[in-house]
Amino acid sequence: MAGSPSRTRRFVLLLVLLCGFGVVLFRLVSLQVLQAAELTVKADRQHQKTVALEGARGTIVDRHGKVLAMNMDVPSVFGVPTALESPAQTARTLSPVLHVRASELEKKLRQDRSFVWLARKLDPEQGHQLEQMPMEGIGTVLEGRRFYPKGPLLAHVLGFAGLDGAGLEGLERRYESHLHGEKRVAVLQRDALGRIVFPKDEAAQNPASGHSLTLTIDEVIQYIAEKELEEAMNKTRAKAGTVIVLDPQTGALLALAISPRFDPNSVAALTPGRWRNRALTDAYEPGSTMKAIVAAAALEEQVMKPGTMVFGENGRMTIANTVIHDHEKLGWVTFAQVIQKSSNIGAAKTGMALGEQRLYRYLRAFGFGQRTEIDLPGEAVGLLRDPKGWGRRSLASISMGQEVGVTPMQMVSAISVLANGGMLMKPYVVSEVRDAQGQLLKQIEPEMKRRVISPETARAVTSILEGVVTDGTGTKAAIPGFRVAGKTGTAQKIDPRTGAYSSTQFVGSFVGFVPADNPRLAMIVVIDEPQGESFGGLVAAPVFRRVGEQVLNYLGVSSNEPVKLAMATGHR
Amino acid sequence: MKKLLAVCAGVGLVFVFVWERVDMVRLGYHIERLKHEKVLLERERDELRVKVATLSAPDRIAKVATDKFGMSLPQPGQVVVVQSGPAEWPGASRQASEVRLAKVEMPSGRP
Repeated sequence: MAGSPSRTRRFVLLLVLLCGFGVVLFRLVSLQVLQAAELTVKADRQHQKTVALEGARGTIVDRHGKVLAMNMDVPSVFGVPTALESPAQTARTLSPVLHVRASELEKKLRQDRSFVWLARKLDPEQGHQLEQMPMEGIGTVLEGRRFYPKGPLLAHVLGFAGLDGAGLEGLERRYESHLHGEKRVAVLQRDALGRIVFPKDEAAQNPASGHSLTLTIDEVIQYIAEKELEEAMNKTRAKAGTVIVLDPQTGALLALAISPRFDPNSVAALTPGRWRNRALTDAYEPGSTMKAIVAAAALEEQVMKPGTMVFGENGRMTIANTVIHDHEKLGWVTFAQVIQKSSNIGAAKTGMALGEQRLYRYLRAFGFGQRTEIDLPGEAVGLLRDPKGWGRRSLASISMGQEVGVTPMQMVSAISVLANGGMLMKPYVVSEVRDAQGQLLKQIEPEMKRRVISPETARAVTSILEGVVTDGTGTKAAIPGFRVAGKTGTAQKIDPRTGAYSSTQFVGSFVGFVPADNPRLAMIVVIDEPQGESFGGLVAAPVFRRVGEQVLNYLGVSSNEPVKLAMATGHR
Repeated sequence: MKKLLAVCAGVGLVFVFVWERVDMVRLGYHIERLKHEKVLLERERDELRVKVATLSAPDRIAKVATDKFGMSLPQPGQVVVVQSGPAEWPGASRQASEVRLAKVEMPSGRP
């Protein structure tokens, strides 16, 4: 018997509903179970955005907090060629803003790609112009760019960072681990329009900026050193030049000027030779400046006294079949005069009185043949051979500053020993490291490496070196009102073609400190291959004087010639 | 009646849940907008810092001082340090003081 029609309809309806639910259930199982993994990935891709975040690179400031290097977010421009209707028109519009030829831009925009960089890390001004002209298919993203607002000032010390923000030279490289910002990957939620809705986790918090560095450098002293060095370079038409100013009591670097200069804001077209820090990397034969060090060793070992009489051999002496000349024919002179008149023969005799082992020991103690360990990269050790490798003439040659290679930094560190009473200080350029909130993380204190000579010996050598400036070869280094101690040096360079000393290529230098009675500045001036006059006393000593007098004035150091001011007291 | 109340409570809970989610999204947008503003302000601050640093560069200051205002570096002897003797002045500070003076020597022909 057939059922009632209503019952049949109910059955069919139930069947249809069951089938419907079955389909829904099947689809549900398919989506939630069978395809779960694949669809979860797909969904995440659509409503989550993973971005790499990087904190800003730390700032570098001088000892007074003046900014020398800092990061700023600037726009980089990209194009989406597939979304462009008229690449030619877009290229013509962008060309004057990006300072890139329209044809070059058009070529990039016609590529069959969905993303192409048009210009990276623009100037802020260019960014503002771009904001005024939004275009379909053209977009910008912010990237950190390193700015050196003082241009070439201190460039050889600061170095520079590359396009990816990593330090490549100088302090930027040496302190990369401190300066670089925190790198972090964050997952952000976005809506259908691609807008960020809410950070999914804590990682979306801004990553920490890099640490900032406070230098011992004073930008005004640096400016004075660079200005005077440039003036000397123009005058002497030299190949290169270096000026280093140290605080001899602490080893803190106050200025380090190198010529030729470069602008770290635009290094792309330069060769590495241009940004090499010659004060640390280039060793040179110091010539007569070494006599100051030899004199200190001789006085400390008491093989000489300032008044000891030395025969100058009338300007000519033969050692190991080689004739040594003096530029002035000297007879009997005091040991102090040997240094003041820069006698090669007197220096050779002093070295011979010391002997190989003692001379070598003192030169090592003064820091030659080893790195000063200043916190800058690329430092050379110089050249100081073990006495076992010395020839018959070496003792005399080294006493005159030949057969030995020193960097300007080694020489100014060594002269600081005489200035501070006999201690070899470790030179340093970074005094503080602070985090992004300004909290002090690390303070670098002056570090004494060792005592080299006694305070008495240091005073005796200082007195002799004052004579160099008042009556000797360094009179052009004299600063009115101040006692200056120093030594000139003129060294022949080795001609790479012949392997012999050149008669036309010289290094003129002056190293000294001021005021001699309470030294505030130790300074070296090295002029490499000056044209015309090449004596250190003529090309380098005047630079010492000009830098010294301006810096002392800037630091407010009293001269030795105070003026008593007649003042009315106002008492009746 | 109880059933009606339960349904109402259920619907209310759903509304609260939905309202909370919507408000979260709204706050999310607000936070993002503020973050964007912060980024813009930070950019402006950094631009100004770079500008200040550039304008205060010693070589620029020296150029402006010499070219625009006719200033020059003091020559040797123009800056003198005057040491005042406290003993000479009754009532003056017992501590010796230094006064830095620039001797002004006007070129002839100028007031």
